Amino acid sequence: MKPAVSWRGAGEGFMSLEFKKLIVALFAVAFIAAVVIVGLIERDRARPEKASRAYADAATRACIDCHDQKHAAVVWNRQWEQSRHAEKGIGCMACHQAQEGDPDLWRHEGYLVATVPSPKDCQSCHEKEFNEFTASHHAKAAQFVGSLDNFLGEVVEGAQAANLGCKQCHGSVVKLDEKGLPLPGGWPNTGIGRVNPDGSLGTCTACHTRHDFSKAQAREPRTCGRCHMGPDHPQIEIYEESKHGIMFVAHRDEMRLDADEWIVGKTYTAAPTCATCHTAATTTQKSTHDVGARISWTLRPLFSKRLENWEVKREAMVKVCLECHGANWVTNYMQMFDDAVEHYNTKFAGPANDVMERLKAAGKVTPTPFDDAIEWTFYELWHHEGRRARHGASMMGPDYTQWHGFYEVAKHFYAKFLPEAEKLLPGVSEVALAHEGHQWKKGMSPEDLKRMIAFYEERYGQRVQ
Amino acid sequence: MAVAQPQLPAWVRFLRERVPVNIEVFEELSKEPIPHHMKSWWYCLGGTPMLLFAIQVVTGILLTFYYRPSPEEAHASVKMISEEVPFGWWIRSMHHWAANLMVVAVGLHMIRVFFTGAYRKPRELNWVVGVGLLFATLGFAFTGYALVYDQLSYWAATVGTNIAGQTPLVGAWMADLLRGGAEVNPTTLTRFFVFHVGAMPTLFAVLLGLHIFLLRIHGVMELDAPEEVQATPLTVEEDREGKRRFDPNRFFAFFPDHVTTELVVGLFLITVVTMLAVVFPAHLGPPANPEETPLHIKPEWYFFPLFRWLKLAPLWLGMAGTLVAGVVLVFWPFFEAAWRVRRPRSETALAVGGVSLALVLAMMIWEALS
Repeated sequence: MKPAVSWRGAGEGFMSLEFKKLIVALFAVAFIAAVVIVGLIERDRARPEKASRAYADAATRACIDCHDQKHAAVVWNRQWEQSRHAEKGIGCMACHQAQEGDPDLWRHEGYLVATVPSPKDCQSCHEKEFNEFTASHHAKAAQFVGSLDNFLGEVVEGAQAANLGCKQCHGSVVKLDEKGLPLPGGWPNTGIGRVNPDGSLGTCTACHTRHDFSKAQAREPRTCGRCHMGPDHPQIEIYEESKHGIMFVAHRDEMRLDADEWIVGKTYTAAPTCATCHTAATTTQKSTHDVGARISWTLRPLFSKRLENWEVKREAMVKVCLECHGANWVTNYMQMFDDAVEHYNTKFAGPANDVMERLKAAGKVTPTPFDDAIEWTFYELWHHEGRRARHGASMMGPDYTQWHGFYEVAKHFYAKFLPEAEKLLPGVSEVALAHEGHQWKKGMSPEDLKRMIAFYEERYGQRVQ
Repeated sequence: MAVAQPQLPAWVRFLRERVPVNIEVFEELSKEPIPHHMKSWWYCLGGTPMLLFAIQVVTGILLTFYYRPSPEEAHASVKMISEEVPFGWWIRSMHHWAANLMVVAVGLHMIRVFFTGAYRKPRELNWVVGVGLLFATLGFAFTGYALVYDQLSYWAATVGTNIAGQTPLVGAWMADLLRGGAEVNPTTLTRFFVFHVGAMPTLFAVLLGLHIFLLRIHGVMELDAPEEVQATPLTVEEDREGKRRFDPNRFFAFFPDHVTTELVVGLFLITVVTMLAVVFPAHLGPPANPEETPLHIKPEWYFFPLFRWLKLAPLWLGMAGTLVAGVVLVFWPFFEAAWRVRRPRSETALAVGGVSLALVLAMMIWEALS
């Protein structure tokens, strides 16, 4: 039987069965290739501790293998393998290579090993960071010989205390034995202003702990808190008390601390850390390793002073603030901060210093520091309590500004320091108390008394005597 | 005298005795006549959503091994799949990309069917089933996206269920059914999970089965054949054994010809999906935070036209318009048939389709650029 109608639709050609079989074969190969790529990626990911990303040159391989076998500081190996350095093939000798004649040259297993890598070693790749750091106050942290604090630590307390105390943060002077190995007293030490055998100052590992040299770690508030804590500079406690610190704890998952480019307002918005305000990049300025580049006051000494180029530094800090806050907010806050610092200077620091000068002039206090009881009172007044008040104000920690700060300053000024001074030299505080802030001591006015009584009656239903 | 049977292998005999079905029925089925126009790639689109659905079933089952549908654990489990589970990143990214491509594939298939008039009598019901499959695909995409439980997916679910809640009459009930409460809450994630991995796959499989069944009993419409050719019976001759044969001038066999075409398409798709997974692995944002609304909430791209339309129109008009468009889409073959009773050769459908498609695309692009 013949077909009723003969008609042919679309032609054969590219859609012939033979041709389609060829395409099937081609795509089968393509798919297998795609799966092989997937397999390669998976193999790369599955390697333990991302070690596959580490590129180790022959010397580095030798160091790692030997240290692994002898189980000698294997932690270094694992940390390095996870580091950015490992990814880039920056091996052990990139930092530990010593030259003949180097003071810290140690002949070790056939290698010339530098025992104390310093910022100079980092400089060969991180030039900008080295220059910024070297110019910073951090780099000079160990240059405090001759200061009151140095006398207190080295002499009054004793060198044994200073080695594991002051110097661990400020930095030691590293001395070496004849084999090139560092001596006790100066080592171990990761103080920020360490004086290295090669003459360079500081150590990058203070914030970027070896051997993973992590950026993320330096962005962690706790890293700064290792030294910026305690009675005389409790920055970490102030930060933790502040809204900034609270937000950080509440949102630390969103901080992206390990991001390559870490810009507030762009990479992350959850909270600022110490690094955000003092060193990290913002949308309007670059990052800096000069930790003081955005600090306009020094809040450390007896009298706070505005630093050199303070206007530029203040502007840099204001730019950071503006990433999250409005202009009015920032201006008002800065004004309150400046007012609080100046208030401390004029009401407490100035008068107390005046009293001490008069006592010295009258021979009631010897030139030797800390041998008179009032010197300890005076020292704590500005070095501990006065700093806490100012630091609290600078970083928005209300309790440190108030109860740990100005309250303690006032209490010890009026109830301890002045009585001690008056005992030594009656009438010595008369001039000091001329400041209008001290006029209240002459007694409250009848109106003020009435107002206070009315307040307590209304609020608590109590009568005040 | 018994006819000498060729000796079959033992395992074939074993099977034949235990599964006594007529093999010839399958042979017959595999020789489904396919019109010649189906040799053009453009007409292979119908098979693509099914292939992608198969990828989704397989990858979906694998993902379910590790996914934990609770607000506390969902994001962490997706993170674990992406970062720790061997090949987890690949499986998740395949699922992500196959889902996106499936929406594209369904859309293209529908466009092809619409503009070739393949939904017309007697195939109207299959169009209705097909639109059901489109809705099911979008439902899959919506619930699946929400399961990731990162910030964007959480807020997309919130906005999506709020929109559903605006439907006249049944809106409040629908939103309640989806969310299990007045707002997105811990129960919502469980519901979405059950919809996504249980209810919807079942519905989808049933609709897909019905879609293919209807397709097979009607046969594929002969697109290019002149009407007098289409009017002749499919069966044109019988062979010596009395089996039906199809006119080889008009048809080719489903197997092996069309199967090979589908194989090409299938291999192409799985390669593309794999490469997309490698080059653009599925993203995972920060975990959902009901306290913090992101600055820019956007649904996935396939909801852009609807999203833009709802932004443009007042709420009542937006919802009413969407409903009307949905009803017209579902029952389009009947509406058009009624129109063609009066104007038998009208091609108004092309104009309606063209304008609708242009509108949808324009609003999608507008939303994407805004």
